[in-house]
Parts: sequence; C-alpha cells; structure tokens
Amino acid sequence: MTRLRRNPRGERAAKAVAGGARIRFDLAARAEDRGRPRRDPRAESAELLIGGHARPRLDRSGAAGAAPSSVEETAPTAPKIAVVESPAFLIAVVPDALGERLSQHDRQLFGAARMLAGADGAVVALVAGEVEGLASAGADRIVAIGEPGYDPEGRAAAIAGALSSLGLRYVLFPETSDGGDVARRLAVLSGEPLFSDVEQFSATSVSRAARGRRVEQRAASKRLMTVAADAVAAYAGPEREARPEPVAPAAPIKRAILDARRITADPATTPLTVADFVVSAGNGVTDLALFRRLAEALGATPGASRMLCDAGLMPRESQVGASGSVLTATCYFALGIAGAPQHLQGVAGCEHVVAVNTDLHAAMIERAGLAIVADAQDVMQALIAALKEEGA
Amino acid sequence: MKIVVLLSAGLHPVSGQSILPKVEAQALRLALALGEARGRHAGPTAFPASDALGHGLPHLVHVEIPAEADPVPALVATLEADQPDLILAGRRGQGGDETGLAPYAVASRLGMALVSDAIAVERGEADGTVIVHQALPKGARRRLVVRLPAVVTVHPDAPAPRAFAYGVARRGIVETRLAPPGLPAAERLEERPYRRRPKLMRSAPACGSASERLAAAMGATSSGVANVMVNPTPEEAARAILAHLRAIGVLPPKAA
Repeated sequence: MTRLRRNPRGERAAKAVAGGARIRFDLAARAEDRGRPRRDPRAESAELLIGGHARPRLDRSGAAGAAPSSVEETAPTAPKIAVVESPAFLIAVVPDALGERLSQHDRQLFGAARMLAGADGAVVALVAGEVEGLASAGADRIVAIGEPGYDPEGRAAAIAGALSSLGLRYVLFPETSDGGDVARRLAVLSGEPLFSDVEQFSATSVSRAARGRRVEQRAASKRLMTVAADAVAAYAGPEREARPEPVAPAAPIKRAILDARRITADPATTPLTVADFVVSAGNGVTDLALFRRLAEALGATPGASRMLCDAGLMPRESQVGASGSVLTATCYFALGIAGAPQHLQGVAGCEHVVAVNTDLHAAMIERAGLAIVADAQDVMQALIAALKEEGA
Repeated sequence: MKIVVLLSAGLHPVSGQSILPKVEAQALRLALALGEARGRHAGPTAFPASDALGHGLPHLVHVEIPAEADPVPALVATLEADQPDLILAGRRGQGGDETGLAPYAVASRLGMALVSDAIAVERGEADGTVIVHQALPKGARRRLVVRLPAVVTVHPDAPAPRAFAYGVARRGIVETRLAPPGLPAAERLEERPYRRRPKLMRSAPACGSASERLAAAMGATSSGVANVMVNPTPEEAARAILAHLRAIGVLPPKAA
C-alpha cells in the first residue's frame, strides 16, 4: 500500500487567507482533496437499525443496503438437477433396495457408477418396483426389471436382456447375498466376465482379495462387477434426473424356484449383532417388566447397558458396547442411557438413534437423531398405551 | 436321492494352513441329514478335502488336476456320469480365486437349478422337490420350494459341522480319478501380496473440514442436535417417537 506523502507547506499554503498585509491562515478550514472523509458513526448505525424490536438491533450483514439485489440471488438457489441428455455410454447399477429403500451399500454403488460414468456417461438404475431416493443417490435413468419380490432367475434373465438391448458398458452389483447371487447367475447366463467382491475401486482398475486373503488380484474394470461394502464413497453431488426409460418386457422363462416365502426374524431370539431394531435399557430404567413389554410391543430386540448387566438385571448377552455386542442395527432406541464412550462404540454402526434421558447434556442425547429429555418410565408407559390404542 | 457335496482346499484364516473350509463341513452335515452323500473334489491332492471323511462323509471322489487348472470342467465331466439330484457346496470355494462362481457354472453346465445361502434343507411335500431355508441379513429367513435337480450353496449360519472322528476318517474311502485330458487353464490375473488398507469412513462427508470428519468418525451427526424435546408430556414424547420410528421405516405404518 502506498500512502500519499504529506506536503505540510502546501497544506499550510492552501489555508492562507487572501488579502491583508500580513500572511494569515484559517487553520480550521479543511482542504477539500485531503485524506479520507470523516466518518459519522451515529448516522451509519442509524442506517443499520432494524425496526420492530423493543431493543435497538443492527443488521451488520450488509443485507439492509443491498435489499433489491438479494431478490435476484434467491432465484437460482432452487435445487439444481444435473441432466445428461444424450449419454455416450451407460453404466448400470442393480441395487438390492430391500423394502424399496436404498441401503448405504446401494448408495456407495451409485458413487462407484458415477466415478465410471464421468461427465459423458449416464448411470442407469435397474430396479424392480418403485424405489425412493434414486435421484439423490445419483441415477440418471431408471429401467424397470420385473416385479418386486424374490425372483433371482427372472431378474438375471431381465438384466441379460437389458445388457444387450441398452448396450450397458458396466453393470455393478452389491456383494450381498441377493446382489451377489443375481450377479453370478448373470455371469454364467451371459458369459460375460465377472469381477466379484471388489475391495479397491477406481475409474480404471479394480482389485480384490483371493487365496484366503493372501494375495490381491488386480484387473481393468470388467463388464460385471460386485462391489464390497465400504469400498467407495457414496455420490455427494447435485441431484440427478432419474428419468424412467421404457424397456421391452423380458420373455417368460422356466423357473425352478416354485415358491418363496419370507419369514421375518423373531426379535426376541435374534442375536443383537444382526438385529435391525434394538431397544435398550440403562440405569434410568427401574421397571424392567415394563421395558420388556415395550420391546415386545415395538417388535424390537432388547438390549441393555453395562450397568444393568453387571447388576444382574439383564442377561450378559444383551449388553451393548465395547465389551458386549457391537450393533449393526438400523435404529437404536436408548432408554435411560447416558452414553458412556464404551457404550457409544457399540452404537457407532447404527444409522438412527432415539434417546430418552433426564439429562439434557448426556452424550447419548447429543448422538441421537430424536432426543427426549424426560423420565424413561413415563415415556415407556405412554408408548405402550399409544401402541395399544393404535392396535385396538 | 443322490447327493453330492463339492469340497475345496481352503486355507485357515489365521494360520494359512490347508484345511477343509468350515462352511463345506456344514454343507456335509445338511447332506447327511437328507440321506447318503458323496464328496467331490478337484485339485492336485485329496488333502485337505479328505478331512470331510472324519466329519461323516463315507466316500470321496478326488479328480486330480494341476494346481492352476480351472476345476469346473473336471467336476462337470465326472458329475455328468453320476446325474446327482442334489449338489451341496459352500457359499464360496476357498483357496483359489474365491469368486463364488464355481457352483453357478456347474449348475449351468449340468442344467440344474441353483439356490444360494441355505441354512437348512429338507425333503419337499411333492416328489422331486426340496424345501430350502435361506439366510437373509438381519436374522430374517426365506423358505423356498425348489424343483430338483438343484445346486444349493450353504451359508455360514447353517448348523455347526459334525465333530471330527478319527476312526470314521480311517474307514472312509478316497477314490482318485484322472481328469479328462485337454482341460482349459483358468484365466490368470495380475497378483501381488495382500495389503490391508484403511477403511472408508462411512458417514464422513466427502469434502468436510477435519473437525467434521472427526465428528463423523465418532458417530456424532450434525443432524442429531436439531431434534431435542425438553420435558414434553409423556404422550407428546410417545407420539414424536412413534412418528420418527415410522419415518425411518423400522416400525410398520399405522394400520388404517
């Protein structure tokens, strides 16, 4: 920064008063072109005042002065949708979508597909039935393959049809029991190479463990790939179009699976490590009979904190935490649990946490997606009453 | 019912010793509960598949192939002659490429149906069918009625294998056959020693600050702070909890 060099003689000369025999100066006069203008802080703050408040409040964000331009800015903040109008090639994803919802693993698969697609390609979701959240997961197109329900033979035949009719460059499956099953059926049906259980995924190459995890095999991306969980990050960009595409119905095939019936897990006997919904009691729960009734009414697997297991009030198998079971549940419902670090380690894998505790500053309240600061006994009573009322 | 169990030469997950994979010993138990079963193994030596004799297998056919050869054509060649009704296999053969493709390839070449991840197999009510209980994630099950002939792969949640008995192992028979000539070699991929890599942080934001990523790794979510109800009435709390549980899909929607 360069500052203008002062010229004291010139300043003084500018203040000279003309006329008179002696040289006279008006030192109070301000030179017009000199320095910065004097600030008037009172006038400035009066401009920033916002009306409608008992106490004077100032808006220092700068929005008050620029009110007309802010209207122009709000218009383009509507959610932007990325569109690939005429894709150069197609990458297909076959999500499991159990219960018409995408799992975290399915979303990671879309992340992998977007990595392969780049800017020119489009990601096609091959789904059976209506699946929610495909646009935000990163799908440009949606192609229906059959009806929802267990039909791996029909699904493999439909994908084999789409493979040739849509000219799919790659097809990605999750390495789960259902996704891996369909992928392998498709591999033998179509004769395409399959690279299963990908653990390292990049846009050009993939690698997997083999021979009892002694070696890892690496290859360029194959046409069919099954991707392990947590190998790729999920897609985090703007929402995609998710445009439904028509596809010819697959030819009927002869099925050897004559009947399939799903038997839901019995929550009372499911091990905690695989349970989907766990309701857990801590030191804040005094009426354990009520707690067991609630677990039964909600259809949840009962768990407990170390305090209750040490006291012998709940079986040791039901202990949640570092020295008990580490959960993989979708939802964890903590009643009267403050949340010791060791307990929170056991809950780290849970997608949603609901907590009821009397202490607002408990760690479990901080971790929870829905936190209720209240006594657990009263809430349990009210929950059982509400469930009974709905059932009646 | 003719039952065949496919056996592979696995490696112990910790020591790396050659062993019979546990899931194949479990498959053998399911097979023996249905009737008399025979074993089938393609590889350079009968060991460690011959350990299955100790778990109750009376007869093992060992098809001798070089270590680097593809076992599927050799297995298919010997199975075509036998025409089994039911073939049981592990979820994934071990010790080789471990792609899990072999049972599918065998089923396709022999024109048999395939069902994956069984934890129980029983005879069906109609003739020529079996009932297969399939393991699903989160402790759920699926009951399937399957037309024979079929290949069934077994899930690790199946009942534990029968105990190994030395006397039974001595009485079992191993029949070694030479593979038919002209088998194609398996495709070789670029290999290097396995290296463990850091795990992806599941809930970490792709481009967050260091403190955001640390918070994500510890399981705290930024959305978690928003929804706190302080001293609501129990009824209000119950309604909020039920609505939240329905919104995330763990509780079935309200009936009517």
